Amino acid sequence: MTCDEVRDLAAGFVLGALAPEDERAVRDHLETCPESHSEIAELGGVVPYLAESIEPVEPAAGLKARILAAAAADLETRPRGASTESGSAPVVPFPVGRAPASTRGIAPSGWVLRIAAVLAVVVLGGWNLLLQGQLRDAQAYDEGVAAVLEVASRPGSQAAILADPDGDGPRGIAAVAADGSVVIAMRDLPATAGTEVYEAWVIGGDGVPVPIGDFAVGADGVAVFTADATPASAGVTLALTREPAPGATAPTLPIVSAGVATSPPS
Amino acid sequence: MSDPIGTVPGRVVSAADAADRAVLDRIASGQLDALEDLYDRYRTMAYSIAYRITGDATLAEDVVQDAFLGAWRNAARYIEGRGSVKTWLLSIVHHRSIDAVRRRRPTTELPEREEAPPATLTVPDVWAEVAGNLARDAVRAALATLSDVQREAIELAYFGGLTQVEIADRTGTPLGTVKSRMRLGLLALRRELTCAEGTP
Repeated sequence: MTCDEVRDLAAGFVLGALAPEDERAVRDHLETCPESHSEIAELGGVVPYLAESIEPVEPAAGLKARILAAAAADLETRPRGASTESGSAPVVPFPVGRAPASTRGIAPSGWVLRIAAVLAVVVLGGWNLLLQGQLRDAQAYDEGVAAVLEVASRPGSQAAILADPDGDGPRGIAAVAADGSVVIAMRDLPATAGTEVYEAWVIGGDGVPVPIGDFAVGADGVAVFTADATPASAGVTLALTREPAPGATAPTLPIVSAGVATSPPS
Repeated sequence: MSDPIGTVPGRVVSAADAADRAVLDRIASGQLDALEDLYDRYRTMAYSIAYRITGDATLAEDVVQDAFLGAWRNAARYIEGRGSVKTWLLSIVHHRSIDAVRRRRPTTELPEREEAPPATLTVPDVWAEVAGNLARDAVRAALATLSDVQREAIELAYFGGLTQVEIADRTGTPLGTVKSRMRLGLLALRRELTCAEGTP
């Protein structure tokens, strides 16, 4: 790319309005060109002010905790001294294998409850870093787990293991906070295509599924879902279904993954 | 990043930016409470940008989370003399927001984004620190002085995430005209804002 071509594209460049290949070419040129290309600074200096014209909107209160939890998880993945992995630490298993046939559907099975209790103990015991360590192979999931653990460790929160009622399909963990906010971290979800989404449902004592939000999943099969102010309360069942489009008001069976929120044992 | 205030050549460093740099130093050394400080300071602006561009609260939160994590991981790559920490951070937010919007348009190829915007995109905003906080009204007033077509071209790019070619297609305008509207619009905006700064 020539200097004249860069000048021609400068306004688009500083506004982020170039096609990727042009943006790359301009960037490459600027990094090596002996010319000062003052037009980039002249035009670009004004761009930050565009943001000043925006009406201020506050983010949800839970976002800060999510970001800090994700950063904490990131910190754990950074290289450091060899003393961090003892090798003899207890292992917290993820639920794998086939659940009994009687648990088909959304009813919680005994082992799910037991594992949820184990998870809660882990959370309370401060072993969350250990759990994260075991999941380090998938950083996105790792961050989701950290966000779940952050919520699960708050007073009055409950935790749930989500598992495929039919076997060893999609699985994950979730936390339900006392204020009704829900965080779910999932992996091994088949990717969605087109308008397809996964819908998260809260099923309370009345057995009526209430949709709390949807999300798409990419090829990595990982999803981290959050919803604020849901009707979720103690002992609620969380379930995921795959829906042809967002906005489902009744679940399309089968249940992809489900679990029951339980309190840590006292 | 430990330069004393005011020693960066060609650029005046405000007290606020000096404080931001100290926060960034702490972030670079892995201090979570520093990230919390940065978030508390810029969450509203970051989220406002993301929400304005994506028009979706969930997506905007994801963008903001992504941007602050980008800052968390790349604080050490912040380059002295290339604009304030605020500009650096908010340009990350802007780029991530644009990426998110383009991802929803399946025909658009996404650029290969680095974790942080390249130095060449973090341009020096020479009077940003001097001016302090230009009132929102002043920026809006400056935008209002642009011709409708200049403002449209700039807003479709900055807030809409459209490329120059896409803007030309959408508005039925020759590409060269779109380029020149953007350029003249930005120059006019610069003139207006410089005047606004001189007459507080």
